[in-house]
Amino acid sequence: MGFIDEVAYLVSMYGSDLLNAMLLTLVIAFTGFTIGIILGLPASLGRIYGPKPLGAVIASYIELIRGTPMIVQLFLVYYALPIIGVKLDAFTSSIIAIGLNSAAYQAEYFRMAFGAVPREQWEAALSIGLSKWSALLNVIIPQGIRIVIPALTNESIYLLKYSSIAYFVTVPETVYVSKVIGAKTLLHIQIYSVTAVFYVLMTLILTTLARRLEEKISIPGLVVKGRV
Amino acid sequence: MGDEKILIIEDLHKYYGKHHILKGVNLQVDEGETVVVIGPSGSGKSTLLRCINLLVKPDRGRIIFDNEEITSGKIDVRKVREKIGFVFQHFNLFLHLTAIENVMLGLTKVKKYPEEKARKIAEEALLSVGITEELWGKYPAQLSGGQQQRVAIARAIAMEPKLLLFDEPTSALDPELIGEVLKVMEKLANEGRTMIVVTHEIGFALKTADRVVFIDDGRIVEEGKPEDVILNPRTERAKRFLSSIKELYRLE
Repeated sequence: MGFIDEVAYLVSMYGSDLLNAMLLTLVIAFTGFTIGIILGLPASLGRIYGPKPLGAVIASYIELIRGTPMIVQLFLVYYALPIIGVKLDAFTSSIIAIGLNSAAYQAEYFRMAFGAVPREQWEAALSIGLSKWSALLNVIIPQGIRIVIPALTNESIYLLKYSSIAYFVTVPETVYVSKVIGAKTLLHIQIYSVTAVFYVLMTLILTTLARRLEEKISIPGLVVKGRV
Repeated sequence: MGDEKILIIEDLHKYYGKHHILKGVNLQVDEGETVVVIGPSGSGKSTLLRCINLLVKPDRGRIIFDNEEITSGKIDVRKVREKIGFVFQHFNLFLHLTAIENVMLGLTKVKKYPEEKARKIAEEALLSVGITEELWGKYPAQLSGGQQQRVAIARAIAMEPKLLLFDEPTSALDPELIGEVLKVMEKLANEGRTMIVVTHEIGFALKTADRVVFIDDGRIVEEGKPEDVILNPRTERAKRFLSSIKELYRLE
């Protein structure tokens, strides 16, 4: 049997297992990313515009997350939380760990984006009588969002691939299932090739979607194309 | 022209770190008056304007605007800014909004007007500065500098301010675009609006101003009728500044 036939054999034998695993990968990455936005966006606002103590707490959180490997964070959620009585299944632990991790990075991306909105936009917004929050909501955030998209695209691609750390707590996602299939059939190279193609395809789709979104909400003169 | 004082500035001081920018400015503006402020760069003209609408917090002195001391700390800064229109040197239009949306934002978010009413007011304001319908849907980057500045003026006047502040409104414009903006400002002055204009356009000052104020080194050095201050300045400093500007004009 040639390489192509072996791959075809794997797909025909384990197609539905692989498909489920890939779906799980997407769910973990997507949910983690969403948690990241939900926490990261307010965290960035709190850090830049909130009271100093809040900013300090958020900054410490970001440094802590960025200073430790994601795998350690996952193990802490999965193995250490039960010690204080919080017992989560592997899937939930993975999503939470990835979400909390991404929140720290996204908070920084948003902070950079809001910082890149010219100071004059603030002045103009305040000069017509908008409150600080109204200026943020109506002027700074809409412009910052457009600046942040390339960075968030990066983050989503990163999470898509690093969702595979869920493997270490036995979540049957793509890498985990590939490993099982590889062990069963001894067609390691073949199965990991399938896996690799999946990740590349998904990444390409993400990139394309992000570019479409960027074009859709782009405004002449607002952001120099291709610059973060 | 009424003789009601809309603005009274007393002994205004501002420091940026160690730099003493405003060193005790006293200025009164009547309702309906157009005051042109001239002076060398770094003399504190922009800072003075920014103190008046509280974009910059003065360190000492008082500002009384519309019969209310706005430097007291108890006032609602937003209410003050709502009543003062500010036109910036670099236009500062909201980059993500179209021309008409730029004018409408304050009307819907500050004055809380319904969309339709805001649009109507915005359209009138834009037309009054000569921005016609085909430009309303354009984004700032698609407009010329002169058009952008006129939209910015429309944004300011749509709020029906009691005072308009212009911070070198033509300094960032190409020479051929300056005229269209000055013409709009002249019209506003003739409508009896109260304006303080920081500018180097002494032609505009001669033609339109009720009073010219010369600021140097954080102080008002000379003030009076435009003909007097611009054509026959008394102080040495004003003479030197104005002769250099007039020199420039002759060369053109």
